[in-house]
Amino acid sequence: MSDTALGHIRVIDLSHHVAGPYCTKLLAGFGAEVIKVERPGTGDPMRSLGPFHQGRKDLERSIPFLWLNTGKQSITLDLKSEKGQEIIRRLVQEADVVVENFSPRVLSSLGLAYDDLRTINPALVMASISNYGQDGPYRDYRADEISLYAMSGLMNETGDPEREPLRAGPDLAQYSAAMCAYAAILSALHRRQATGRGEHLDISIQEAALVNIEMGLVETLQLGQVRKRTGDRHSMMPWQHYECADGEVAVISGPIRHWRRARKIFDEPRLFQSKYDHCLVRRFLRDEYEEILVPCVKQYRKKDLFYAGQEQGLAFAYLATLEEALELPQHRAREFFTEMDHPVVGRHRYCGAPFRMSATPWRSQRAPLLAEHNAEVYGRLLGFTEEEIQAMEEEGIF
Amino acid sequence: MSEQPFAGIRVLDFAHEWAASIGPRLLGDLGAEVIRVEYARRMCVIRGARLGRKMYNRHPRWHQVNRNKRSLTLDLRQERDLDAFMDLVRISDIMVSNSRPHVLEKLGIAYDDLKRVRPDIILVLMSAFGTGGPWSGFAGFGGTIEPLSGLQQLTAYSRQGKRYRTREMDVCNGLMGTCAIMTALLHRQRTGEGQFVDLSQTETATHSLMGEHLLEYVMNREQTLPLGNRHSYFAPQGCYPCRGDDRWVTLTVQSEKQWQALCGLMGRPQWVDDERFAGRSRRRRYHDLIDEAIAAWSRELSHYQAMHLLQGAGIPSGAVLDGRDLQQDEHLAARDYFMTAGDAGDLLFPGLLFRSSGGDGRIFRRGPDLGEGNEYVLRDLLGRPEDEVSRLDEKEIGTGYDPE
Repeated sequence: MSDTALGHIRVIDLSHHVAGPYCTKLLAGFGAEVIKVERPGTGDPMRSLGPFHQGRKDLERSIPFLWLNTGKQSITLDLKSEKGQEIIRRLVQEADVVVENFSPRVLSSLGLAYDDLRTINPALVMASISNYGQDGPYRDYRADEISLYAMSGLMNETGDPEREPLRAGPDLAQYSAAMCAYAAILSALHRRQATGRGEHLDISIQEAALVNIEMGLVETLQLGQVRKRTGDRHSMMPWQHYECADGEVAVISGPIRHWRRARKIFDEPRLFQSKYDHCLVRRFLRDEYEEILVPCVKQYRKKDLFYAGQEQGLAFAYLATLEEALELPQHRAREFFTEMDHPVVGRHRYCGAPFRMSATPWRSQRAPLLAEHNAEVYGRLLGFTEEEIQAMEEEGIF
Repeated sequence: MSEQPFAGIRVLDFAHEWAASIGPRLLGDLGAEVIRVEYARRMCVIRGARLGRKMYNRHPRWHQVNRNKRSLTLDLRQERDLDAFMDLVRISDIMVSNSRPHVLEKLGIAYDDLKRVRPDIILVLMSAFGTGGPWSGFAGFGGTIEPLSGLQQLTAYSRQGKRYRTREMDVCNGLMGTCAIMTALLHRQRTGEGQFVDLSQTETATHSLMGEHLLEYVMNREQTLPLGNRHSYFAPQGCYPCRGDDRWVTLTVQSEKQWQALCGLMGRPQWVDDERFAGRSRRRRYHDLIDEAIAAWSRELSHYQAMHLLQGAGIPSGAVLDGRDLQQDEHLAARDYFMTAGDAGDLLFPGLLFRSSGGDGRIFRRGPDLGEGNEYVLRDLLGRPEDEVSRLDEKEIGTGYDPE
């Protein structure tokens, strides 16, 4: 028995790409035994999508795969074959949780829908993550991240109002859904402790991502107000980026009540005339206020202004490059990055724990090689002999 | 009706603004009793800037973010209120806060203080920069965390172009805070052990949105993003104009079959055999030309029409929806996504984070009026005499917008 939070939980991970794998990465990090089931030969399609370590296309060098699958075991299994389906059922019998993100009709066509699996394991918690949920008219609609970002109302608010909406760089909709799925699974395990029963969780990426705009959306529903892109002109003022001597600085007038403390930073009394005292007034006088503010900011180097603001209790920031982000003094002091070894790509810095738990630590372990744990899982857990495993591999089942 | 997952759990919501409100709100949706602790002299910014007509009780955004919660007003610098707070800790299971660590210490409600009266208490402290380290006392909002974490380097129309903010740091951090809460509660249910969760919002934003992008930089000293609306692998991908004002549709062509279908839709069947467009790499070289052709086609259609046609042809696509579209969207309606709250009549609220066959979450009340739960908590739960129940003095209420 380990001292991790989820050391008692076994997860069968049928997921691929981003949303399912990030969810199961978190489960693995907090101690769950996660058995990732991959397609024989090629594995999770993410293994074939770059960017790749050193630009070398290889199933073991996909950088997003290496990030998204830490701490898991990998087995290969052909879910389309009858033997494969039989083996999955045996694995499910031994599991607490199944996570999958196939299109909604795929698993039922394989006889592996929740209704099939719960007959073998009534305590099973199964999480199904999909673009638009398990029912409704868009159930079978296809999507890449950009479409999910668009359909969840986020893209409408991102970018320049004079141009087309802009996709967020990170896969924001899918990561939102991944965290919702993790929370959903743990809430179901919490309930299972009391009832002994499992349940089926339906996570729609669209709905999970909608929480990102819940404040604007409820104003549409109840007040009829519809938000537009603002090009990052925040409703607070100042609350945005300005050019400085060597880059960009976020001049944030928050906590709002503290803005006058900026007197100690900017040697420009006009900024602190009493007519500008209230943040909402400043917003309506944005142009004239910026005319005074922008030249003041220009005189500073970005890190100097960041520290000067923070010294006054104001939440200033600078626009960090990735290099600078990796070297943040705060990250170094908290040892946010950990080094991990991998037999193919070697030793590298990864983000460690997403949060620190005083009693139940995070485990940092590398992503698995394709089929790395076939012998262990099929042998130890299901009792296959070496010869049987080899035969299944030759048959293309493993 | 099956039992809600967190029935019997009592949550102290010591949040300011949005991020730390999200986890307690989900617990409320799922059956926990959530008590929002408020400081009336400086209310949460989500309660707005105006006192007249008690506007601070009337904002839909407050009603949404803090639904299913009670409101308790306390001034923790007063001994009597601090005593009441500690009595409340004694009968609570978890506290969630996004204060900077030294603020809790100064108020005498740091983890060790809480633990003294409630040994199995959970504290999830989700400050901007975490506990310890040179920036622990620094202030941070989404607008601070997004640039410092490097995240903002990933979103722009072009490689060298202006960097834009995305939506929404408070939410990705709030969702990770929710994961922390769930993890700690499950462990406590099984072992009886509480704990302290130290969450840095700068770290969680990094972890939950840019792990693979930082790893790319670590491994290759390169960054693929930003690419505007294009895809790093597939082509074409983009956001194209539709009929109407500020109407757009997105699409991604992920296979040759989808490319052929798109050529058919656009009325350019000759492009199917055109060598310039054979395979995603070549299409990337002619992306501008392809974009023009797609735009010429999409411009004649509504964004929904374009999406339905593209989906009908098997091409991943999505209309860029605004709030009004979402309100009227047939899919969300069919899934009953929008919900009423028990005490708010017909008014609709954005719904649940997920659905469950074991019984869904519920919205039984909108976000509370300031001090709505004072009597319930102080008199009914804690048994304080009538004269110790905090009565709100209108003159002492202040907004989060007031200058110092």
